[in-house]
Amino acid sequence: METLGALAILVAFCLAIYSVVASVAGAVAKRPYLTVSGQRAVYGIFILLTVASGILVYALMVSDFRFAYVAARSNRAMPAVYKFAAWWGGQEGSLLLWSWLLSLYSAVVLITNRRKFRDMMPWVTAILMSTQIFFLTLNAFVEPPFQMLAVGRGITAVQDGQGLNPLLQYWTMAIHPPTLYLGYVGFIVPFAFAIASLITKQPGDAWIATTRRWSLITWGFQSMGILLGAGWAYAVLGWGGYWGWDPVENASLLPWLTATAFLHSVMMQEKKGMMKVWNMVLVSATFFLCIFGTFLTRSGIVSSVHAFAQSSLGTWFLGFLAIAITLTVILIVRRLDYLKSETQLESVLSRESSFLFNNLILLASTFAVLWGTMFPVLTEYVMGEKITVGAPFFNKVNIPIGLFLLLLTGVGPLIAWRRSSWDSLKRAFRWPAIMFVVAAAASIAMGSRSFYATICLGLCAFVTTTILMEFYKGSRAIAGKSEMNLVRAAIELTHRNTRRYGGYLVHMGIVIMFIGFSGAAFNKDTTREVTIGDRFTMGPYEFHVDKISDGDNPNYTWQRAEIGVYKNGQFLQELKPERRVYLVTEQPTSEVSIRRRLNEDVYLNFAGMSQTEENKAVIQAYIFPLVSWIWLGFGVLMMGTAVCLVPSKARILASKAEPVSEFAAEKVLAG
Amino acid sequence: MTLAVSILLISAVLALVLFIRPGAIPPAETLPPTAHLEERKAAIYENLRDLSFEFRLGKLSEPDYEKARQALEKQLAKVNAEIASLTGKVRPAPSVEKPTAVKAAEVKTVHKCPSCGAEFDRPMKFCGECAAPMEAAKS
Repeated sequence: METLGALAILVAFCLAIYSVVASVAGAVAKRPYLTVSGQRAVYGIFILLTVASGILVYALMVSDFRFAYVAARSNRAMPAVYKFAAWWGGQEGSLLLWSWLLSLYSAVVLITNRRKFRDMMPWVTAILMSTQIFFLTLNAFVEPPFQMLAVGRGITAVQDGQGLNPLLQYWTMAIHPPTLYLGYVGFIVPFAFAIASLITKQPGDAWIATTRRWSLITWGFQSMGILLGAGWAYAVLGWGGYWGWDPVENASLLPWLTATAFLHSVMMQEKKGMMKVWNMVLVSATFFLCIFGTFLTRSGIVSSVHAFAQSSLGTWFLGFLAIAITLTVILIVRRLDYLKSETQLESVLSRESSFLFNNLILLASTFAVLWGTMFPVLTEYVMGEKITVGAPFFNKVNIPIGLFLLLLTGVGPLIAWRRSSWDSLKRAFRWPAIMFVVAAAASIAMGSRSFYATICLGLCAFVTTTILMEFYKGSRAIAGKSEMNLVRAAIELTHRNTRRYGGYLVHMGIVIMFIGFSGAAFNKDTTREVTIGDRFTMGPYEFHVDKISDGDNPNYTWQRAEIGVYKNGQFLQELKPERRVYLVTEQPTSEVSIRRRLNEDVYLNFAGMSQTEENKAVIQAYIFPLVSWIWLGFGVLMMGTAVCLVPSKARILASKAEPVSEFAAEKVLAG
Repeated sequence: MTLAVSILLISAVLALVLFIRPGAIPPAETLPPTAHLEERKAAIYENLRDLSFEFRLGKLSEPDYEKARQALEKQLAKVNAEIASLTGKVRPAPSVEKPTAVKAAEVKTVHKCPSCGAEFDRPMKFCGECAAPMEAAKS
């Protein structure tokens, strides 16, 4: 079985090379047989990698410890869902998952575009398969997943495996890596289309409409992956933090930032024929940052809770990046004439300029995060000493950037295309500005002493007002003409322009998340050593320690505290924080207990037994105001993304424009 | 058994890749030379629609709206003119009366496509026969 798996990967590697050669030769020599054969090779690769992945997953599920990977990542006592998740729990398996996802995406791209872009698709295939060659090289020769501890039926190399890292045995971790990979791998598709359009000098921008959907879906997965990771960190690490600016966290954020910039500025190219060079650079940067992020995670050059162990993969990734970046830069420079803008920026007070500021700010944030992430590596290389940059640096730089971006999400919709007059701006900004002042004043009145939290809440009110005004004005305009009520009119409004109003919903999701972030300024915490019957208070809450117990099962031993939460003498909930020690790895983990409410979470962590006093448990208690708004905002963001993907009801209001006759055309030609 | 399955699988995949029926090879695509212009036209119409809607919502003053609308209609006219010239549907230009005192020698200029050799009596951006760029596009 392992032979079949290894052979499938090797043949897939050969087919990927064939696909690149056949696609390029077919495009250059105009030989349709070669281009079709090159595309068929993509389907063949998908079939072979599905077989290889299936073999690995089967071995994990039946705990076949003859496989070295299975012995290292799984054990008999693990629940089935985590045995499956062990597919991406280690270097070899996660690289195989990457290759399989790339083959799946490639096959879907070819099937969905089989009747379009005939001149471009061979180059799209070639670029996708070039990346596939790289990853299959790693699968076949550098980190093969089918190394065996023992060969032959009935032979058992080890009685039981090491098991998955206990930190990964949590439900969000079962889906966080695959969703992130769906994002990382997916960003290759818009890059492939962009480069293919440069190579073939596509006269139009139809490729953008095709890749826009891919980019949006991929961006959605990337967002989901990042938020699932944050949710995992919040619920598992025991200190209530959801973002620590860990290098691998940053690696997932970097392509998200450039992809966000791309999704916005690509609208400028579609509508105005502007920012073509920007879009090429952004889509290329997104792809390179995905590869770079993978390099950071797998090379071991940065210290991270996420990173795989140090390996030789770093050199491979750097080599691939160097080649890809060099070729892309050469191509963009040579095609600068083709990328000239069709119109120019006319005014600073225009939506076009707000898109430009958006790009600049997102790039600034990308650079800051990249600099901070790579600083320890650079200092070690230059000075021989690793100087770590922690959360204070990232927060200092990115909080103001984030607030400015929040401001732009409110300003953008208020400004018209081409230019806005001062009068129209004054009218448009009046109510949002008032709500900004009201919200900021209210937060100060309620005790906020944090400058950033106050500004954040003010800006959230500003942006919410602009979005509500957009929906209200648009719905009222439609309701007036079609005799609908406002709710139906709002749905009709959204359906007529799903990109715009779906985008507003996404922005609303971001606003809600920022409200959640601002709550961090008001966190409370305390640590107590308690025994049964003890009571302690924090803020408005009283905690009664009702029980402390312990036990074990085949997978781990546990200690648990049962603590009643009271407010104003009223019983609210019983929380049961737990501490586990997994038997195979002897690794302790925290199972925190959380009372989640919209206004604040009450969070208890069983840190362990006291070292100084017998039979006393160390309990860490936290109050996290507004943190649930982060997860709620994420839900709204995903809903908005889904709305953006729905095709708009196209209504060409040609009757509102004067007809342009042939005579008019001649006048234009005559100048 | 594993060997047999491996051989079967690899053979099937290689057959999928290498044996392609002539009917499975799509015919050469002939995109009309105006395809990208039609896209541009659709984008301008969408911009006009957005502009009209934003004016109705009060984001633009009337002078700004009129200015923006005229600019878009001018762009639309240009695109329509290009489409018309590519499809050969333009009316001949109105003749201009020459002064009778001196008649300039009639010079007939022929504009030839560098790709297929088709001839036209006026400068064209793209050849009406094979859609290759001509002198006017390159200038």
